[in-house]
Amino acid sequence: MNQPVKMVVVLMMIALVAGALLAFTYQATYPKIQQQAKEALESSVLKVIPGAEKMEEVQKDGMTFYIGMDNQGNKKGIAFKAVGSGFSGPIEIMVGYNPKEGKLTGIEILSMSETPGLGAKIKEPSFTEQFKGKSVKDEFAPKKDVKVITGATISPTAVAKAIKSTLEEVTKIYPVGGEF
Amino acid sequence: MQLIKDFVNGLWNENPIFRMVIGICSALAVTTAAKNGIAMGLALTFVLTCSSILISLLKNIIPSKVRIPCYIIVVATFTTIVDLVMKAYFPALYQVMGIFIPLIVVNCIVLARAEAFASKVNVLRATADALGMGLGYAWAITVISMVREILGNGTIFDVPLFGQNFTQWVIMLLPPGAFFVMGILVGLMNLITRKSPKNDGCHNC
Amino acid sequence: MLKEILFIIIGSVLVNNFVLSRYLGQCPFLGVSSKTETALGMGMATTFVLTMTAVAAYFIQNYILAPFGLDAFLQIVSFILVIASLVQLVEMVVLKISPPLYNAFGIYLPLITTNCIVLGVALLIPSKSYNLIQSIAFGLGAGLGFTLALALMAGIREDLEFADVPEALKGPAIVFITAGLLAMIFMGFAGLVPL
Repeated sequence: MNQPVKMVVVLMMIALVAGALLAFTYQATYPKIQQQAKEALESSVLKVIPGAEKMEEVQKDGMTFYIGMDNQGNKKGIAFKAVGSGFSGPIEIMVGYNPKEGKLTGIEILSMSETPGLGAKIKEPSFTEQFKGKSVKDEFAPKKDVKVITGATISPTAVAKAIKSTLEEVTKIYPVGGEF
Repeated sequence: MQLIKDFVNGLWNENPIFRMVIGICSALAVTTAAKNGIAMGLALTFVLTCSSILISLLKNIIPSKVRIPCYIIVVATFTTIVDLVMKAYFPALYQVMGIFIPLIVVNCIVLARAEAFASKVNVLRATADALGMGLGYAWAITVISMVREILGNGTIFDVPLFGQNFTQWVIMLLPPGAFFVMGILVGLMNLITRKSPKNDGCHNC
Repeated sequence: MLKEILFIIIGSVLVNNFVLSRYLGQCPFLGVSSKTETALGMGMATTFVLTMTAVAAYFIQNYILAPFGLDAFLQIVSFILVIASLVQLVEMVVLKISPPLYNAFGIYLPLITTNCIVLGVALLIPSKSYNLIQSIAFGLGAGLGFTLALALMAGIREDLEFADVPEALKGPAIVFITAGLLAMIFMGFAGLVPL
């Protein structure tokens, strides 16, 4: 085989085998990857809606909501994602909301890259607990009705701001005192 | 014999991290906890070993002019396999490693050994060398991770070591800490082996 | 729009410097930072390649990989092959149109393929869902930040030549410690722009 042809053939053969191997591995791992993503989402929704044992995803007015229900089908609350601009990058939050009572049922920090030991403390229950039972009509002002972290105000402020601004949209779709 | 020498070489004399000082990006980025170090070390060893074996087997078939693209395809394929498997079975670790799993494909160690060694020797020697280099990298970054985890988090493999009153030396978990720990450990290695590193970085890989 | 672009560039150069904060580009950072001239040469060449890689990554991800659902398993292979080809192409083009320019930075070009900063930028662009202009700004910022880090280190190392460095720390060790100090300084930029 002359040189240029050999080059092309070998390169193509390797590329084809590589492509096939990758497609195969992808097919093999796809179900597990999907399952992991689903489990992670479900666990965060169930965490922010106490009493919920399963969830259902709904789209309403361009926003995605996760309705948390117990095993009898009683709705316990709805969850939605909020994103804030933190100290070192975006902060993703899962927020639980009970429209009937007009209160938050809890929050969970899904992802963040804040400073360990300082801003990263927003992940800890000592910070997130304060949002359980908080009225959605509150100001969400740091140091006033939102407790901050000593030495790190930007991260908690980002969380408060994100929740507040997303709530403004959410309460238009699920107003306080209304059904869900 | 030769195979044993090839293997041990990567573990100590030509340790990629502390002696050759290559493949540093991941050694700084993921070494915030001991378990991350081990996971990354194993991932790299897998990619390095599989790639070296394949490249050594194919060394007489791959024409010299297209060898770099061929090596790249081989390494990238194994890297993607590791990426997919970790995403499926170790999602928590995968989150921590971030882009550094895909970056294994441009890890200086992998391509450098393929070009300099695997493509020139038989499969057995290529395997021994790859395993040595991979495990050498693995133990080195595990040590770095342990230092950073102990000082920065007060734990080792998530087991708390000190009591409540331990103030975490947080900077050890941040970039400056990574650089400092690396510098000190390289210096320590020089002291122990009484030689300066063989290579001043990756400028010829 | 312009403000956003500015934030992306400043963000990549100062706040999240690719070398001192994102841990990318370490190999050339250690290997090519002993003299300011070589550092600048490498920096410019890399910035050039990075900006083009950003464009390539944007198009490949959005027009070839994503529409066919291939990005989950072909992203790494396709990106790195494109980068390798791009670098080869740039080398040939530079040699052809301007031999003096080739002498200035052409020798660094082959090394850029394995510089993790290039693949790093390529992989980060789809994950941040940047549009074309944002992607270019991101690539440019990455390159400028890389050049800045290299130039700073080179300046310091030129002076370190005359300092009394302990024997064990000579070479990469003292460079790492210096890098740590630089990283600490750059941490001061955190919060400068919203990320």
